[in-house]
Amino acid sequence: MIGLIIGALVIASKGTNPFTAYKALIMGAFGSSYALSETLVTATPLIIISAGLIMVFNMKFWNIGAYGQYIMGAIFSSFFALNSAPTTSPFLLLTMMSIAGIIGGALWALIPALLKLVWEVNEVVTTLLLNYVALFVLKYFMYGPWRDPASHGFPLSKMFSPNAQLPIILNHTRIHFGIVFGIIIVLVIYVIIKKTRFGYENRVIGENNIAANYAGINIFKNTLIAMAVSGGIAGLAGMTQISGVIHMLQLEINPNYGYTAIIVAWLAALNPIAVLVIAILIGGIEAGGYHIQMIMHVPFGIVGVIESSILFALLGGEIFKTYRIDFRRRR
Amino acid sequence: MTEQSSILVTLSASAVRSGTILLFPTLGEIITERSGVINLGIEGMMIIGALFGFITGNLTHSPYIGFLVGMLAGGLTSLIHAFISITLRGNQIVSGLALTIFGLGLTNFFGQDWINKKFTIPVSSIAIPGLSKIPVIGPVLFNQDIFVYFSYILVVFMWFVLFKTRTGIHLRALGENAQAAGAMGVEVNKSRYWWTFFGGLMAGAGGAYLTLVYAPFWLDGITAGRGWIAVALVIFAMWNPLYAVIGAYLFGGIDSVQFQLQASGTTIPSSLLNMQPYLMTFIVVIAATIVLRKRHIGTPRELGIPYSREEK
Amino acid sequence: MTDIVVALRKITKTFPGIKANDGVDFELRKGEIHTLLGENGAGKSTLMNIIDGIYQPDSGEIEINGKKVHIKSPSDAMKNGIGMIHQHFMLVDSLTVLENVLLGLTSAGFYVDKKKVAAKITAISDRYNLGIDPFTKIWQLSVGEQQRVEVIKTLFRGAQILILDEPTAVLAPQEVEETFKIYRQMVQEGKSIIFISHKLNEIMDISDRITVLRKGKAIGTVDKDKTSEKDLAKMMVGREILFRLERGPLNRGEKILQVENVKALNDKGLTALNGITFDIYGGEIFGLAGIAGNGQKILSDVIAGLRKSISGSVYIDGKDLTNANPKEIFEQGLSYVPPDRLKVGLVPNLSSSDNAVLRHYNREPISRNTFINYTEVENYTDHLIKNYDIKVPRKDAPVKFLSGGNMQKLLLAREISEKPKLLVVVHPTRGLDIGAMEFIRTVLLRERDNGVAILLISEDLDEIFMISDRIGVIHDGRILDIVDIEQAKVERIGLLMAGLDEKSTQ
Repeated sequence: MIGLIIGALVIASKGTNPFTAYKALIMGAFGSSYALSETLVTATPLIIISAGLIMVFNMKFWNIGAYGQYIMGAIFSSFFALNSAPTTSPFLLLTMMSIAGIIGGALWALIPALLKLVWEVNEVVTTLLLNYVALFVLKYFMYGPWRDPASHGFPLSKMFSPNAQLPIILNHTRIHFGIVFGIIIVLVIYVIIKKTRFGYENRVIGENNIAANYAGINIFKNTLIAMAVSGGIAGLAGMTQISGVIHMLQLEINPNYGYTAIIVAWLAALNPIAVLVIAILIGGIEAGGYHIQMIMHVPFGIVGVIESSILFALLGGEIFKTYRIDFRRRR
Repeated sequence: MTEQSSILVTLSASAVRSGTILLFPTLGEIITERSGVINLGIEGMMIIGALFGFITGNLTHSPYIGFLVGMLAGGLTSLIHAFISITLRGNQIVSGLALTIFGLGLTNFFGQDWINKKFTIPVSSIAIPGLSKIPVIGPVLFNQDIFVYFSYILVVFMWFVLFKTRTGIHLRALGENAQAAGAMGVEVNKSRYWWTFFGGLMAGAGGAYLTLVYAPFWLDGITAGRGWIAVALVIFAMWNPLYAVIGAYLFGGIDSVQFQLQASGTTIPSSLLNMQPYLMTFIVVIAATIVLRKRHIGTPRELGIPYSREEK
Repeated sequence: MTDIVVALRKITKTFPGIKANDGVDFELRKGEIHTLLGENGAGKSTLMNIIDGIYQPDSGEIEINGKKVHIKSPSDAMKNGIGMIHQHFMLVDSLTVLENVLLGLTSAGFYVDKKKVAAKITAISDRYNLGIDPFTKIWQLSVGEQQRVEVIKTLFRGAQILILDEPTAVLAPQEVEETFKIYRQMVQEGKSIIFISHKLNEIMDISDRITVLRKGKAIGTVDKDKTSEKDLAKMMVGREILFRLERGPLNRGEKILQVENVKALNDKGLTALNGITFDIYGGEIFGLAGIAGNGQKILSDVIAGLRKSISGSVYIDGKDLTNANPKEIFEQGLSYVPPDRLKVGLVPNLSSSDNAVLRHYNREPISRNTFINYTEVENYTDHLIKNYDIKVPRKDAPVKFLSGGNMQKLLLAREISEKPKLLVVVHPTRGLDIGAMEFIRTVLLRERDNGVAILLISEDLDEIFMISDRIGVIHDGRILDIVDIEQAKVERIGLLMAGLDEKSTQ
């Protein structure tokens, strides 16, 4: 609510009627089957990345590096897309691309995890800086070895062969197989954190290292595995985006989903199932944001303002939750 | 003067200017963190300062008013973080990230009409009589614009406040042992508000310097991660304003060297050159952390922990 | 009379469930060292916190120099010339001595003339022979030196009345002697000191008068010259042990715990255990009595695998588990109720259910393969809640919202439900109300009757006498003596706790 009000104030300050803008935004998000399908396309990477982030946020490891892990996943998987024989079967090629994407993201995530575990290097700073490094690695490939000679100098790779493209699962839309990955991942992560020893152990690690040691939990091993999973999933999201939506590697592959996914994970109160709903809502705001940018020339930045304001409200509201329980106890 | 050395001087002078963009926010965050609050929203506060400073500068035709408004815009933005993390005791890491997303979104929104516009009023360099005549150091450090001189004064002043005054003792106690500071009569939360606000002012100053003097133009996302480099430099500087100067100029240096190399038409791909400041920061942060650990000094102990009098 | 600098009249202070002070009268004369003596929980600290303005009394009056005053905060107390030195120092480690002194100075301006303040600190330091350099950082100082910094802080602010809350608890014996010299000099110069302690030998050394508190009440005030350590011990403990909880006959089983000549260091790298040797058999409770900080926590951590010993060995049920990891030791049948519930034993922000299974989340039936069956977790939690009468409003709420007694019950229930061979409990009833105390003691006795070997570490002598079969006394990292309960005399145990062997006092 507060987020929407702040958004409205910002829109109004530029002389646009915020109610018209919001109406258009909602129409652009959910108002037609096309709009809805675009919302789901946007929600897909958010679902995937958020689910992975929950894995590590659950143990209070602040992986802010989904942005970079996503890019590395895209780069690794592109290697196979661009270098395999066109006759490779789609199943084999897509499997290889997925695995490559996971490995790319996981490796990129393991660097800050190891630095934290061995030398206690602040993971917020390292994951963030690696995001920029990853962006420039992508830039290197796009202006260097992987640029399509026919692109007239634009930073684009060759179009992926149809065999390297994730299938569209609903005709006449852009909804691709990635959303199936997303749902599977959400369920798997849900099971891991809510139903397994590993999830339980990670919750203990996040809250109390001494108690974790007392209970005989291997902090080093668990952190590495969780970070590899989290980064690997972000890498897979990068793969599904280039293979399912963009169909090539280019400079603009929307890695900002890596940041938006943090908002999604947090708004979902770190519950993977809730991610499905929240990601579609946020995906809707993003898709609607593109829509109003097109038709009303309201800059897309408004989306960031609304999203961050909602997050501020949630963060500020947590104290009231705590107080309520506290109050009950005192009575 | 040989040609090489004159290039070196030009390069160093530009390194100082580039470093100044980082120096302001680093100084601010040092103070904020010393008081026990971690504000990862520097990037957001910087870009808000950058845009609103730029717009004001253009409207008033005064770089100085623009700079002040940019500072203030950064400061006001920081109050969101202060309210959430100090008063409401929300998660400071996530709040800082949200602040960055907020800043990037807001400036994209309001900056649309200003993209690629320039700020055309040059801020001239002032040669300081005497000092600017010193070989090498003179032209590099003492033939700069007024904002650079302002940053010199700030560094010395902040070092002085931090280590020589009672205010500084309070400030340092806040981040180390808020309970003890509170018991000694320091108003913990009120002070933390002030120091967080100060951090915001400084981030805004860095942003405004970027768009009014260094660039001087507006582009969407012009800060390009400099806010995050500043967060890293705080660690490198071991929370000391004097070391912040070294860190900031070092990275200013890397920035101008890679820029010069590109301009000179080297064969090294520009992407790899652009990457250097971030990669170097990454390496330096690791090195600094290892060194700090060995010397048993480091992060203010209660960084990021909210304070409430009832809790023991 | 004007030479009474502090007078407390009928001070009463109640906390939920506990009457910490009950109509306490107390007088401090100018130029005396007046000791408050009492066991843990007798109400000493509460009373002093009232003088220092941290707590407000429910009823009763405070007079300073003959004038009735209301002290609302520590800075109020300071204005009245009262300075308290807490057990936990209010010092900022990374700052220098000078800076810590300045921290509390409200009168100083923005810029501080460090030389001037340093000179004043040095003057105070020299005058009392404190040996403190104003430019040293706090973390570089020993605990004893840090305490002297606290003294400087109070003197710097012009305190005439000093309250010292168990200052010797953290000091080495030779430091205690030096510290006492300082106190004597201060009272000679007209300052007055309230000294809180339960170490009898020190009290006899330093005090002019002694007031004994027991269970919140002032039992009496005596002159040092007209009393003895024995009398004081009796006043403090109060009586022969009056009642014992019902229990079966001692049915000693096999040797379960064998600790041999164990030595270990504390966090500061100083020797905390100096050759500890004892055994515990199945079906008995071994009570380890001692004053706080004599190595109890270190010993329990070494046995539980949370701290490494530097020499000696620990056997549980015949298996060498010296410096094994906590998990291994747990698997071998040790259960542990640590002294610090919320730091080691429980995870404050996780739910009661999650905490209930912390030790056996990976055992059947709670866990199969890699999965945890949360229905079983709930069942298990319900079972604990029911059997141990734990009041848990919501199982899914963070455990930190439970009351202390219920937290402790949950912890104990979790630890003993796995049928341990050996149970180590440290201060199991500290800070609990009487109902919870009795419940926990009854549970311990029941486990004993089931054949479990129990090590009970407690500072509450009543508790030790109430349920132990044998009593050991630890002092300065050594066990001074072990006696059967039938032969144990409260006075002698009290003296041993203070480090005095009977022979040496006679």
